[in-house]
Amino acid sequence: MSDEHEHHDHAHDAPETQDAGSQALAEALHSSFAIVKIVMALMVLAFFSSGFFTVGPQEKAVILRFGKPVGEGQQVLLNAGLHWSLPYPIDEVVKIPITEQQIVSSTVGWYFTTPEQELSGEEIPAGATLNPAIDGYVLTADRNILHTRATLRYHIDDPISYVFNFAAASNTVQNALNNALVFTAAGFNVDDILLNKQNEFREAVQQRVTDLVEQEQLGIVIEQCDVESRPPRQLQNVFSQVTDARENRNKALIDAHSYENQVTNNAGAQAVSIIDVAEADRTNYVASITAEASAFTNLLAKYESNPNLFAQQMLVQTMGQVLTNVQDKIYLPQRADGKPRELRLMLNREPPEPKPAATP
Amino acid sequence: MKKNLLTIVIGAVLIIIFALLLFVFQVRQSEVAVVTTFGKPVRNITEPGAYFKWPWPIQNVYKFDKRVQNFEDKFSQTLTADNNNLIVTIYTGWEISDAKEFYPKFLGSVPAAQRALESMMRNAKNAVIASHNLSDFVNSDPQQLKFDAIEGEIKAEVQSELSTNNYGISLDFLGFKKIELPESVTATVFQRMTAERTGIINSLQYAGEAEATKIKSAADRQASGVINNAIADATRIRGEGEAAAAQVLPVFQQNPDLANYLLRIDALKQSLNQRSTLIFDERTPPFDLFQNLPANSPGH
Repeated sequence: MSDEHEHHDHAHDAPETQDAGSQALAEALHSSFAIVKIVMALMVLAFFSSGFFTVGPQEKAVILRFGKPVGEGQQVLLNAGLHWSLPYPIDEVVKIPITEQQIVSSTVGWYFTTPEQELSGEEIPAGATLNPAIDGYVLTADRNILHTRATLRYHIDDPISYVFNFAAASNTVQNALNNALVFTAAGFNVDDILLNKQNEFREAVQQRVTDLVEQEQLGIVIEQCDVESRPPRQLQNVFSQVTDARENRNKALIDAHSYENQVTNNAGAQAVSIIDVAEADRTNYVASITAEASAFTNLLAKYESNPNLFAQQMLVQTMGQVLTNVQDKIYLPQRADGKPRELRLMLNREPPEPKPAATP
Repeated sequence: MKKNLLTIVIGAVLIIIFALLLFVFQVRQSEVAVVTTFGKPVRNITEPGAYFKWPWPIQNVYKFDKRVQNFEDKFSQTLTADNNNLIVTIYTGWEISDAKEFYPKFLGSVPAAQRALESMMRNAKNAVIASHNLSDFVNSDPQQLKFDAIEGEIKAEVQSELSTNNYGISLDFLGFKKIELPESVTATVFQRMTAERTGIINSLQYAGEAEATKIKSAADRQASGVINNAIADATRIRGEGEAAAAQVLPVFQQNPDLANYLLRIDALKQSLNQRSTLIFDERTPPFDLFQNLPANSPGH
């Protein structure tokens, strides 16, 4: 195009002084050529400046020169900022979105449900059977049917591999996750997945996904894997009865243990008090015998000097003490003829306790 | 002159560009390509870059995506060696590794290639599953679980089929996506699961009661043991007291009469302690004082 215009320019230069009409035409052509030149210069400028591009914060870019990535290793990846490449078709810029975290969810293992139902928490009543075309589930090691699903969070570690080696890398990750669920469930019993080994199950799923994506060289790093499992809705009742039964058993055991505590504590306290009483008895007994012995030693001298008098004195003294305690004293003199008197006693069943005597 | 030179340069550049467009083609990082001469595949290109070719209509270039593509077969029923029906879906990752072979076989059509792949997958799947029992698919014993091995066998089967036919396709990975049961079987499984659950409920109940009773009776036994020990200890302690007291006894041996007398005095004190009624006559000391009163002896 451009060299053609230059030609015209030359052709009209020579007959400059012909007439006013052709001069006006020449001038018009001249000025339009100037415009064309400017436009062309702009186009050339635009052509080369089209090589500038920016890379956003959430992405990386790779320049393909004749289809081959420019640079070696990690230097292939261009970070956020302004960059320049040769214009198409020499260079081609491929931008790779790298969000902080990618999320995929499993597509097998869960019964048919829509996102709306999921949100509202409403549950459509389950039929008697599970249709393999729409309802997902997994088979456990003990050949039970179980629903389970997982959400995987990962980030892209090797964008070159992730983008250039896989047509749909996230689908590949998803298939690995699905396979991990089916595989892991096949090695666990239903009660372990639901109850006893929930965490081991989750870790096993994550391990399997990690192994698979490593084998497949997807260039991603697994950050987190959440797994949710539940018994089939058809068996919801009977499974919750098992839970109840388990709770009842635990409660019975807790009760039994608290009974155990109580009984053994009581027995311990009782034992301590029995021993305490015995200790006190021993101390008292020994003390009183010792006291008696020393009293005996004291009395022995008096007794030996005059046994009869001592006995008399002792008896009288004792009787004096005793009589202050005796409630009723009945004096019954001897009959003159020396014969024994007949005495009739009417005994109360329970003699009334004298008030002052009750509080000595 | 200057202007002419510029014109020539620009013209040459344009011609070169035009020639390059005719004679050169690019293969991107994610592509493979095959060059055909009058329709016959002659050159295989597996590395990215720029390549020369004769212009159309002498040579043509067909480029294919060489990235790993996901593909899964439709679920189908398969019989295991022990006559269990399974519904199995497998997924694969495959790629076009050899465009020169791939292009003439499928005329470059990926769906056609996938159809061929699917039938190979189904055959391999059926053959391998038929040689395994259900216990190879689901098993709590890791030694007996042959999940990985089965996947490997199917993959090997498909791979050997692919290389025999020389499809220009390679298989990167293959795995189970679903292992399920026919719909009617799920009802049977539910019945069995219900029975199992009921069994668990019963055993939980009985086991719980039995264990609670065991704990309680053990506690009772332990408690009575503790108390019996305490009683035994108490007896021993009292015995020790008596032994200690026995050492004092020789003191009383010095005069057994006095000891005896004192004991009786003590007994008297004890017996007439409280709430007692004493009936006495004038011979009972100290009331024997009454005996000697002259007014009180009318008989004399």
